[in-house]
Amino acid sequence: MVVGDISTGTEVAIVGAGPGGYVAAIRAGQLGLDVTLVEKDAYGGTCLNYGCIPSKAMITASDVAHEAGSAEEMGVYADPEVDVAEMVDWKDGVVDQLTGGVEKLCKANGVNLVEGRAEFAGGDKLRVVHGGDGQGSETIEYEHAVVSTGSRPIEVPGFEFDGEHVIDSRQALAMDDLPESIVVVGAGYIGMELSTVFAKLGVDVTVVEMLDDMLPQYGEALTRPVRKRAEELGIDVHYGLAADSWEESGDGIVVAAEDEDGDTTEFETDKVLVAVGRQPVTDTLNLEAVGLEPNDDGRLETDHEGRTDVENVFAIGDVAPGPMLAHKASKEGQVVAEVIAGEPAAMDYQAVPAAVFTDPEIATVGLTEDEAAEQGFEPAVGKFPFNASGRALTTGESDGFVQVVADEESGFILGAQIVGPEASELIAEFGLAVEMGATLEDVASTIHTHPTLAEASMEAAEHALGHAIHTLNR
Amino acid sequence: MAREFKLPDVGEGVAEGELVRWLVDEGDTVTEDQPVAEVETDKAQVEVPAPVNGTVRTLHWDEGDIVPVGDLFVTFDVEGEAPEPADDEEATEDEGESDEAAASATSEASGRTFAPPSVRKLARELGVDLDSVEGTGPSGRVTEGDVRAAAEGGEEAAEPASESKSATQRVSGDEPASAGGAAGGQEAAGREKTLAAPATRGVARELGVDINDVPAVEQREGEAFVTAEAVQAYAEGGQAAQGEAAAGGPDREFAEGGETTQPYRGIRRTIGEAMAESKYTAPHVTHHDTAVIDNLVKTRAKLKARAEAEDVKLTYMPFVMKAVVAALKEFPILNSELREAEDEIAVKQDYNIGVAVATDAGLMVPVVKHVDQKSMLEIADDMNELVAKARDRSISREEMQGGTFSITNFGAIGGEYATPIINYPETAILGLGAIDERPVAEDGEVRAAKTLPLSLSIDHRVVDGAEAAQFTNRVMEYLSDPELLLLE
Repeated sequence: MVVGDISTGTEVAIVGAGPGGYVAAIRAGQLGLDVTLVEKDAYGGTCLNYGCIPSKAMITASDVAHEAGSAEEMGVYADPEVDVAEMVDWKDGVVDQLTGGVEKLCKANGVNLVEGRAEFAGGDKLRVVHGGDGQGSETIEYEHAVVSTGSRPIEVPGFEFDGEHVIDSRQALAMDDLPESIVVVGAGYIGMELSTVFAKLGVDVTVVEMLDDMLPQYGEALTRPVRKRAEELGIDVHYGLAADSWEESGDGIVVAAEDEDGDTTEFETDKVLVAVGRQPVTDTLNLEAVGLEPNDDGRLETDHEGRTDVENVFAIGDVAPGPMLAHKASKEGQVVAEVIAGEPAAMDYQAVPAAVFTDPEIATVGLTEDEAAEQGFEPAVGKFPFNASGRALTTGESDGFVQVVADEESGFILGAQIVGPEASELIAEFGLAVEMGATLEDVASTIHTHPTLAEASMEAAEHALGHAIHTLNR
Repeated sequence: MAREFKLPDVGEGVAEGELVRWLVDEGDTVTEDQPVAEVETDKAQVEVPAPVNGTVRTLHWDEGDIVPVGDLFVTFDVEGEAPEPADDEEATEDEGESDEAAASATSEASGRTFAPPSVRKLARELGVDLDSVEGTGPSGRVTEGDVRAAAEGGEEAAEPASESKSATQRVSGDEPASAGGAAGGQEAAGREKTLAAPATRGVARELGVDINDVPAVEQREGEAFVTAEAVQAYAEGGQAAQGEAAAGGPDREFAEGGETTQPYRGIRRTIGEAMAESKYTAPHVTHHDTAVIDNLVKTRAKLKARAEAEDVKLTYMPFVMKAVVAALKEFPILNSELREAEDEIAVKQDYNIGVAVATDAGLMVPVVKHVDQKSMLEIADDMNELVAKARDRSISREEMQGGTFSITNFGAIGGEYATPIINYPETAILGLGAIDERPVAEDGEVRAAKTLPLSLSIDHRVVDGAEAAQFTNRVMEYLSDPELLLLE
């Protein structure tokens, strides 16, 4: 590490090494550009270190424990003992392997890695403040800058994260031992994924949601199996309650929540996990120096090439408009790298798939029936329930369905909604279909392996055409 | 409520049309289906009808403009609904669009173009606007081939409106007075009355100049007087100005002495493309011979008077058509079409004979249908009517379609032999030279005889030289001895 203030030049400076930034860096490196990637914390960003990956590791581990202990129906009797510290160690090993891989890939593609927090200094320069005392700072002069600083959890007033009683999702995934009970504020996808993990590990879980529905963006039909499962797992969900305050009480705490009439409900618990959403990180960037200002959402507006209002400054991922999803950030990272290299790239995707790793999983891509109708299509909808799928029954997970939405006249597939086992994997087929402009006939006519869950996608397409084999065509 | 009327596809799959003239003015009341404009497409002139009862609010184009199909053409105020304030443009447009979204095909309504990511990328690489590409894949999906085709045909497709507008003005030979006058700094005089010698008026007509626009040389009897020289100077002034205007454009190089350019589009381009397709697809062989037609000349002279009594002008063409059809019945392979993709030659049961006609706008080939079932007078009558329609551009597309064999009478202008290009996908075309007295050797003597030189081009993929010669012999036989046609 260099002491003092030095200055270097680069063709592309990328701020933030999450799934947007590191992908942009690697692609830019592949295209022969001189790239500098600045990261203040950990390569791989929130996704690899504190989000997608560790949460999926914990979800899988808690599933194993839970399923092993609840398979009497299959003739399996077990009472698994869980060592949470070991579970977290295993998860950390997975994370280390992935983030180490990212660092290696960056270096192998000629990316200069700089550790520190970057801010705009004006005149096409970034000032990078290195972490720790006496580490000094560095100025990087860039031709193009890419802002990929990502997002951080939103704090609820009165619930400042202290890492002990009030925790965020990152801390929830790094506990040494389990609390007996936990209150989760927020029934969005992070809150519900983690609630499920805790419930499966035997924690007494209470969810407090301000709105009157779980995962409201997905609609009643898609979330019904998830609500049913949450109930079976003993997750106690309260709607229409806003977390208001908390105080220590004996060994634990008491969380107070208010309904719209001002009536207060109190919950005794060990910890409170606040998962009410995430906000883009732009306040550390000194954007005024480059003449940029976030919009009302706190994001930087971009065009179809990922360019901000400043010609040579790009923004991708959670700081750019659109859903806060790692795969969307990665796609944008590739596009801006190619644009900077002078290639005719653009954000021309038709749809960004999304998955919620609840039990069962929810996954969507493209348009729903209502959205298709709003856009002027005559929607044709096909649906296939997993309880008619041989493979689903053999896994013991047969709640849910596959639904496909197409244009009635042309048969073009416009979107799909899946709730059920492996929904997050199954959605990929429809993602390809939507991008390719594939028709119902294309999917229906493709042979799908038997017995698999993916057959449900084929049957849903056939259902939309009125000739499904394994469900009634109404 | 306002109805935004977009130029419909007035032909079959045409992309644009030239607005020849408006038949209504802004503020006029119109009834549904009343023609509002004349639009010329690649081969025909059509009238565009009003879609509603109401009044014309805005005519969005000027006469002479090339209007892309699907572009806003006329705004109507629909009868019985209060017109909206004119300054409420945006709301009007929104409403028009949503109305249309509901009414038109779903995929268009949504504005989405279906194409795989690889094709979208290719479109960006080739600079093709994907939304403007017509997809030929399943359900209209845009394929790689569609994008490549659009890129190749792209130059004029890319910026049709603006490009073509200026181009049209450059050649608007119909009204050089305004174009040339303005560009050349010569004011169009625009008088109501001008004195000039008949020859001067002739010159003006020849040069396409409105004599009332030519600056007066002097006053005679209180009126402006114009000479032929003045007309010439005015026309040249306009042309020179056009040259200057064109030369002002970037990276254009002109041959020494200047040149004028005209756009390759419309009917000219359609002819060009058809000719290229035919000549590059079908290997042509042209067979030449000469029919001695003294008898035909006599017969026609005799019948002409009878025909006139029935108000029909009887030329030699109906006789040739009759002779051709009689010969085609014997050699039906010349009345055919090769469908290479299907590995088949379709021999036609119909005898629909196309007659090439030179018009002011270029070559057109109206088709006389079912010649075998018609009398000589009916053929003559049909043909005369079609030719007249072709000349005044009122002919419909249908009247130029369905031909099975064509005849071109270049001899009407002069000459003996030519190498006609087949009206593809037909298989043969017969060219007629000028009927004239020519020396003919018979029985060891040379005499002057009326002769008709024949040039038969065949598609050698389908027809061999021997058949071409036999067919021509038979045609000559009928023409030399027209009484034989009585048996037909």
